[in-house]
This record gives sequence, structure tokens and C-alpha cells, in this order.
Amino acid sequence: MVDDLRTDVLVIGAGPAGSMTAKWAAKHGAEVLLIEKRQEIGSPVRCGEGMSKDWFPEVGITPSPHWINVEVEGARIFSPSEKVFEINEKYAGNEVGFVVERDGFDKQLAIDAANAGAEVLLKTAALSVLKENGKVVGVKAKRFGEPFEIRAKVTIGADGFESQVGRWAGIPTNIAMRDMDTCLQYRMTRVDCDVRYCDFYLGKVAPGGYVWIFPKAEGIANVGIGVQLSKVKGMADPRTYLDAWIANHPGYAKGKKIDMVGGGVSISPPLKQTVGDGIMLVGDAARMIDPLTGGGIANGCIAGKICGEVAAKAAEQNDASKEVLMAYDKGWRARLEEKLYRNWLAKEKLCTLSDETFDKVIDALQGVKLEKLSVHNILRAVRDKYPEITKEFESFL
Amino acid sequence: MPNKRSLHIESSGQLCIYCGACVGICPLNCIYLDETRITFDERICTRCEVCVKACPVGAIEIG
Repeated sequence: MVDDLRTDVLVIGAGPAGSMTAKWAAKHGAEVLLIEKRQEIGSPVRCGEGMSKDWFPEVGITPSPHWINVEVEGARIFSPSEKVFEINEKYAGNEVGFVVERDGFDKQLAIDAANAGAEVLLKTAALSVLKENGKVVGVKAKRFGEPFEIRAKVTIGADGFESQVGRWAGIPTNIAMRDMDTCLQYRMTRVDCDVRYCDFYLGKVAPGGYVWIFPKAEGIANVGIGVQLSKVKGMADPRTYLDAWIANHPGYAKGKKIDMVGGGVSISPPLKQTVGDGIMLVGDAARMIDPLTGGGIANGCIAGKICGEVAAKAAEQNDASKEVLMAYDKGWRARLEEKLYRNWLAKEKLCTLSDETFDKVIDALQGVKLEKLSVHNILRAVRDKYPEITKEFESFL
Repeated sequence: MPNKRSLHIESSGQLCIYCGACVGICPLNCIYLDETRITFDERICTRCEVCVKACPVGAIEIG
């Protein structure tokens, strides 16, 4: 028999967004319970492991050699005919930075949450939400296979792409097929990767997505692909496309695969609703992934900090009504929504471009020095050389 | 007309990597991931095939 539990703030899922939420709720004085269904936080890894770094101070992450593999200088974007556009570090703070060991990173964030005062329960899965008078008041859960209840003033779903908590609570989180990428990645050794760059290959090699090469060390890289679900034709398309890409690149075809991960990534516009009475959603569960880059860690952590602060306040006031929790919804939108929406529109456009157009776009950027990397600045550079391409993008200019 | 086609999720680990892609995209929320087991609710599933396409390794078939 496992005893029922009671807490101020219950966070479901100890990924980056969940741990960050737990940490900031605890820092603000709340009693916090962070539950994780797996036995080991961060494992198995389901991630390309590339992340930007300019947001670390905002959420209180101290970079550590324990989980940083490589600090890259920039990103290279390859057009279908493999013309290269190089974005160096100065302009790409949002897109590149570190290649990390995600399991180590996730563990660090869980340690930070625990050190701030949160309790962590492993092997503990939520099964459904408890509701009273339409308000979420906790979850039914099971721990080491034993059912029990956790009652909380505020419940937070940080349960990732496959989120159930939002659906149970009645918050619509369904996404359209064009708003999901299905992804596969190999860790490869004996490849010709360049540890100075994260590489991205666009066009038909990965319909509606891209192929990425994130270097882990000299000769070792994460080689992965995302394909837009609405462009998938058969079974296991990501594997078919990725294997074809590798076969066509001798520097990778000679490599050996030592690991494989897969998963779904949402590339959707921001959710219309992320809170309800007694409930908040954060991170991938709230579809906060950047629809252009597919990166979700920074947004999940930034929103997690706001979520934790609002949760602590709601618990202190003993009022977790939707009205009170809306402070979180408003807070993360003020910080992230404009860019998420703009990048979703950009993604929608990019998915319609032919290989020929991709080549022209990258060609137009040859030798261009952008002061700041943004969709707007890139389009202005392209307009100077190929005005006919940017006609369709007038709304961005 | 009952739909006689059946959905088969190979989740013994031969193909499935337990990534949850099918769970997240299922429009009817009828696929469940329990660490090392994927199940679906036959009564709710409409064989829409979205999960078949979403699976990055081809572990879901409809026959």
C-alpha cells in the first residue's frame, strides 16, 4: 500500500520544463512534488541534443562540463544543391550554442529542483486527474505499480509531446498533421563531422523538416531527421529518408551507428489555452516548441520559471482558479508567443518551397553579413537578389 | 458497417522504440504508452492511420 499524498504544487514529468517549474515553485516557498514515471530522469534520451545558451541566466542554469559535449561556433545551412549559408555565433545565439548530453542536463535540472526544496518521486505515473466541481485537485497515480492519490492545490502537466494531463483536464492539445514532425536520429561514430558547427540540410531530403548533424566530439555526431507528418507517404519514412541521406554523403556513409532515438515534435502555433481551474500545462505538453527550429528546451524552461512562480503564488493564496493561473498564461505569452507565431508562419511558408527556391534563398545569402539573424533580415537579403521569391513573403516584410 | 481492418502495434521492442509519437498525435487519444508497452483502445480507434504515418520506425500496421 502506498499512502495518499497532499502537496501545494504537483508537477507531472521531470523533463526540463517540469524540473524548472518545480525549482521556481519551491524557491518561492511552495511545497512541491515532482513525479516522473521513469526510473531514471533524462533516460532514454529523445532529443537531437543541440541547444542555444543565451537564456541560461534568465532561468538560473549554470553550464557544466558534466553535460556539455561541444560548444559550437555557429550553424551551417545547406541548400538542396549544398550551397552553404553560415551563421556564426554572434548572430545565432538563439539557434546554436551547445551540444549536450541530454540525460545529464535533465538530471542537473532535477538536482536544482530538489536542492531548491522539491520532493522527487520516481517510477510514479499519473493515471488520470482528480476533479471536484470542475476543478482539478490532483491526480490518481501509481507508484511501483501501486495505485494512490496525490492531492494538490495546483497541478502542472509537464508530460511532454505525448501529454495526457492536458487532455484529461479538458484542455485541447490536439495538433494537425502539418503541425507535427516525426523524427529519427542515429548517434554515429567515424563520421566527418565538424565540431565547430551544427549543420542543417533543407529541401526534399527531409520534406517539411530538415536533416541535422550535431557534433558530439571529433568523429561522433547525432545525425537526425524530422519529416512533416502531412508529407509522410509510407511507413517509417523518417528512416527511409535518413538512410538515403546518409548513403548519399560519403563522410557519413562510412560511419557506424551506435544509438537510435525517435519521437514526435510539434511544430504548431501556440495553444489557445494553457490553464484551467487548478491546472497548468508547460513545455512540449503545451506545444511550446519553436515551429521553425524544432527546439523546445529553452521555451520549456523559460515558461517553466513563470509557471513555478505563479503556482507558488496561487498555493500561497489558496486560490488556483483559472483567473489566478491566467497570470502564467499571460506571462509566457508576453515572453514567447510573438516569436512562436511568427516562426510558425515562416515554417508554413518554408514547407511550400521547392528545392530550386531553397537554392536561390541560400545563394542570395552568400557573402551577406546579417546584423541580427531573423526571418525578416533574411528575407530582406533575399529580396535584394531574387525579388520574385520574396513576393509571397511580403507579409513578413 | 463495422470496420474489420485491425490495427497492429508491434511494441515488443523488435521495432517500437517507445517514443510516444503515436500517442501524441492520435486524434482520439486512444493510444497509451506505459514505459515499455503501447496499447490502444480497439473500441475508440477508427483506423484513421495517422499513427501509422507518425511512427518513425514503421512499428504500426493496419491490415
